[in-house]
Amino acid sequence: MSQLSLKHLEKSFNDARIIKGIDLEVSEGEFVVFVGPSGCGKSTLLRMIAGLEDVSEGEIAISGKVVNDLPPVQRGIAMVFQSYALYPHMSVYENIAFPLRVEKLPQPEVDKRVGAAAKVLQLESRLQHRPGQLSGGQRQRVAIGRAIVRQPKIFLFDEPLSNLDAALRSEMRIELMELHKRLGSTMIYVTHDQVEAMTMADKIVVLDAGTIAQVGSPLDLYHRPDNIFVAGFIGSPKMNFINGRVRAANGSTVVVDLGQLGIIELPRTSTSVAGQDVTLGIRPEHLKLGAGQFTLTITPNIVEQLGIHSITYATLPGGEAFTGLFEGNPDLVDGKPIELSFPIASAHLFDSKGLAVY
Amino acid sequence: MSDVARTTEVAAVDSPALVKPQRKVKARSTRAMIDRYQWYEVVALYAGIAVFLFFVLAPFIEGFLVSLKPLAQLFSTPYSFIPKNGSFDAYFNMWNSVPLLGLYIFNSFFISTIVTLIVVAVVVPAAYAFARFNFAGAGLLLGMFLAVNMFSGAVLLIPLFRLMRGLGLLNTYFAMIVPGAAFLIPSSIWLLRTYMLRIPRELDEAAWVDGASRLYTLRRVILPLAMPGIVVVAIMTFIGAYAQQFIFALTFNSKSEFMPLPVGLFAFFGKQEVQWNELMAASFVGILPVMVVIVFLQRYLVAGLTAGAVKQ
Ligand SMILES: Nc1ncnc2c1ncn2[C@@H]1O[C@H](COP(=O)(O)OP(=O)(O)OP(=O)(O)O)[C@@H](O)[C@H]1O
Ligand SMILES: [Mg+2]
Repeated sequence: MSQLSLKHLEKSFNDARIIKGIDLEVSEGEFVVFVGPSGCGKSTLLRMIAGLEDVSEGEIAISGKVVNDLPPVQRGIAMVFQSYALYPHMSVYENIAFPLRVEKLPQPEVDKRVGAAAKVLQLESRLQHRPGQLSGGQRQRVAIGRAIVRQPKIFLFDEPLSNLDAALRSEMRIELMELHKRLGSTMIYVTHDQVEAMTMADKIVVLDAGTIAQVGSPLDLYHRPDNIFVAGFIGSPKMNFINGRVRAANGSTVVVDLGQLGIIELPRTSTSVAGQDVTLGIRPEHLKLGAGQFTLTITPNIVEQLGIHSITYATLPGGEAFTGLFEGNPDLVDGKPIELSFPIASAHLFDSKGLAVY
Repeated sequence: MSDVARTTEVAAVDSPALVKPQRKVKARSTRAMIDRYQWYEVVALYAGIAVFLFFVLAPFIEGFLVSLKPLAQLFSTPYSFIPKNGSFDAYFNMWNSVPLLGLYIFNSFFISTIVTLIVVAVVVPAAYAFARFNFAGAGLLLGMFLAVNMFSGAVLLIPLFRLMRGLGLLNTYFAMIVPGAAFLIPSSIWLLRTYMLRIPRELDEAAWVDGASRLYTLRRVILPLAMPGIVVVAIMTFIGAYAQQFIFALTFNSKSEFMPLPVGLFAFFGKQEVQWNELMAASFVGILPVMVVIVFLQRYLVAGLTAGAVKQ
């Protein structure tokens, strides 16, 4: 049985429909990441699960029980806020102990649980400090500590790492994953950073303007995106899109005319795309220098050398932006045309509605 | 430790002739560059402060000097500001010339204290409600509070008098406490509401998620963080109540045992002459409790209490 289930969930603020019918099942112990561009409703959805926002339509069930009208504390969830929301006038100890004080637990029990949480989060030497005296990463851990002591069934995280610097972020990412392993509880994690989503998630939920664009494992989404939105959102640098028109679709292959770039033949069984305007997708990292199955020539206008790999930016004859990512430091110069290619198998095809064609 | 080691090493290597004479280093100021001034800038700053202070305090200084002078000297021509053979006699004699003076001072203090307690008790929950709850008419009510403030108490004296008479409150402490509190509450709600709006809403939400009730959150989270704002409200109310009791006492009270100091001071206006020096002395002694209260409350005016609550 799934631990959290959302059925046709909807949310409107006055007249604005923000969440437009979400169906989702989360099983126990899963690490689920909600990802999507800014303003797509990730925080709103999380706050609905937490019980901070009313549900306009639909149903939220936790462990089989509908919780639409229950206050947060009775839902068995704990939330870590986008802004840590620590109590600045209390010590780290009292911050972590706050939920236990509300429950009026006896002092020895409070000591035990706060001590255990502090140990897990390496905050033992900081317990008497105020939040204002801590670094960003430590504050984040205090906020997590406050969630841990409640021993909730489900953890909710709203972009907990978004304001940390890059180094601290990857460090905290690993700490969070270890914490998930150790506690084994269900975690729902909101981010707009697709690297966080790819590295942490068992299951990614890609949100697009209040609807689910796709649900799946990170590699699923990477290799088999359902639509052009997910294809463009997952992966960095972004997938290249080339406009084309289908010449023929005979049930085993689809022939796409890419204009000046030539004609490409893809193994696809769909016949309904015949004659349609379509989009061909190819990830920058699937491009190789030199000739291959499908070869094209571009003139990069910017080349970025990152040591481990090089990135080129160019514009195609049809006006589309085109990015290439190559291992190492090949001899690439702005303005010098290069020949590159990709294997047919790594190309994606999307129909005129933006849905993947297989 | 390592620094010392390194220096000796360097000294050993360098031949004595090459060692440069150490430059005299000025004691390093602990101030940031932006806060450092030349001596003439410092002089100018203090001169400015002195002029400003003199302007503000001149009446007080003159009042104090008057309280030191014998009465005869006050009407001498040419007038001399500096008292000749000044003494603190007035501070002792005033208790005899106006026997109820101690009671007047107590009344003033008592009325202001009660008004302050009432105002704080009413304003804290009200400001929290206006800062956190969206209820119908909140904006309208706040607008009305501002409007009420535009009428001074003086305009409403006649209706207030009838009201007080109707309620049988004339010639009691209530006659001075109730209107005093009523006129001070609206602006205090505005002040404290603005202060509470600056406390991040996520703190309420975090407490709510952790199972705290609204009242528990108010007590454990909001009140401690709003304390500087509450103290400001308390100080302003206390001073406001002290200042405005004059007009209410004059109109609604005729019993001298309930009179506050500002009205009580009229007792120094004798049949033939005004005891100016004792009047001034009594005024200064009367202000003393206010000073004590302010100094006491000021300790709770801690700035930057919300540091570290949310990421900036
Ligand atoms: N209380 C509210 N009243 C009205 N509109 C709201 C409210 N809260 C959120 N919205 C709207 O809902 C939409 C989604 O907001 P939400 O905060 O869920 O976005 P998000 O996906 O979390 O974005 P971000 O990545 O920037 O945090 C936004 O367009 C926002 O304007
Ligand atoms: Mg958000």
